[in-house]
Amino acid sequence: MVIVKRKELSLSERLYLPEILRGLSMTFRVMFKKPITRQYPEEPLPTNEVTRGQPRLAVNEDDTIRCVSCGLCEAACPAYAITIDGHETDRFIEREPERFDIDMLRCILCGFCEEACPKDAIFMSDELELADFNRAALVYDIDQLKRPIAQLRPRLDYVYKVNERW
Amino acid sequence: MDMLITILVILLKVTIIYGGVIGLAALTTLAERKVSAWIQYRHGPNRVGPWGILQPLADGVKFIFKEELIPDGANRWMFYLAPTLSAMPAMMGIAVIPFAAESPFYGDPAGTPLAIAHLDISVLYILAFSGLSIYGVILGGWASNSKFSLLGALRGSAQMVSYELSMLLAILAIVAMAGTLDLAKIAEQQSTIGQWYIWRQPLAFLLFLIATFAETNRHPFDFAECEPELVGGFHTEYSSMRFALFFLGEYCAIIVMCSMTVTFFLGGFSVPFWVDAPWFVQAPVFLAKICAFLFLFIWVRWTLPRFRFDQLMGLGWKTFLPLALANLFVTGALVALEVY
Repeated sequence: MVIVKRKELSLSERLYLPEILRGLSMTFRVMFKKPITRQYPEEPLPTNEVTRGQPRLAVNEDDTIRCVSCGLCEAACPAYAITIDGHETDRFIEREPERFDIDMLRCILCGFCEEACPKDAIFMSDELELADFNRAALVYDIDQLKRPIAQLRPRLDYVYKVNERW
Repeated sequence: MDMLITILVILLKVTIIYGGVIGLAALTTLAERKVSAWIQYRHGPNRVGPWGILQPLADGVKFIFKEELIPDGANRWMFYLAPTLSAMPAMMGIAVIPFAAESPFYGDPAGTPLAIAHLDISVLYILAFSGLSIYGVILGGWASNSKFSLLGALRGSAQMVSYELSMLLAILAIVAMAGTLDLAKIAEQQSTIGQWYIWRQPLAFLLFLIATFAETNRHPFDFAECEPELVGGFHTEYSSMRFALFFLGEYCAIIVMCSMTVTFFLGGFSVPFWVDAPWFVQAPVFLAKICAFLFLFIWVRWTLPRFRFDQLMGLGWKTFLPLALANLFVTGALVALEVY
């Protein structure tokens, strides 16, 4: 049991006015402080390599895609967001995806695809914004997913660093 | 011909002063949101126009396009009438507020103050109309056929009765000292800072200031609205432009009350350190004083929590009324003994 002891009010407290003035001076000081609101579209959220945004496909410097359409990310995806059809090429690496769709409305940004990928071809980028007027436009195809490897480098380095532990 | 010019001059005055006051009321709604935001570490409206200055306009357009709802079982005529009755008395009060000592308008005889109408009983007139403003609240609350509205209206009227009394008694002390019921003459008597009534009647100033908060249903005495307990109080059931009209009335009432406070206690249109200032200096100075008090109203609203209703009544009847009576008694005795 807790006994709350009522504090005896002093005369100045019972007169209200000094306390009201104290409160007013407090709010007046706050008025000149910097607002903590972020003006979102103009000031986007700061991202870094740890940010797990939407998955993107890495493209090498020589414009070849890293993905070999092995289907491991498709299998790992808990939300069934990835669809891959592969085909063969005459390059040394014989396979590449013909179709690589990620349904961004299904994607839960879990990063399993990134972990499953044996070829370091898919990474969680720092891209977070997703909006459109129809659902079909949010099923991204391979051209919308391709990003040059330079852009994904910080994430790649971070993933390597983390994986060194195993 | 003279008649026509007189009418035109009056229409011109009405247009300028009412346009200005309603514009000021609109800007006060913006200031309210801005200041509240600053106090809460926010930015406030800043999307419509530079610094959010067009926000009141956007709000107005939005209100006009909103659907108007009338609750089932409401008394239609009273429901329609209430917002008008709430806004009208506040706007009537503006008519007699003197903005400068000399009117620059053609046709006004020398010595007429700059106001829409110069009455020698303007104090009485303004108090009578501010007393009427509660009818809008009562009718709106009653006609809505809603328990929240009715409770808000009841509280509003009880509060009005309690505080109007001490407000009048506080002003009576000033009137006794000034010996006139003319707002312009009261303002002229305070032409230097040392003559301001705030120094000679500090208690009356305090009582009047606090009573104006209650009179205009502002925090910490906004029992007619009382969002957390009564949803929205008397205007719970209102929507669209009728709702906006209540707020226009409220802000006009605040402006009238601020200009009364300034006129009674802070020299009205008199310019500090410049006794015979021309009208185009006096009017902006008067406006600046009003704006300072508008800021005080907003500042207090976002600082203090709401009173409890019984505390409000206790404060009104047990503290303010005796203090105001004692103040009037002492002032009356001093005036009778010709100390002042």
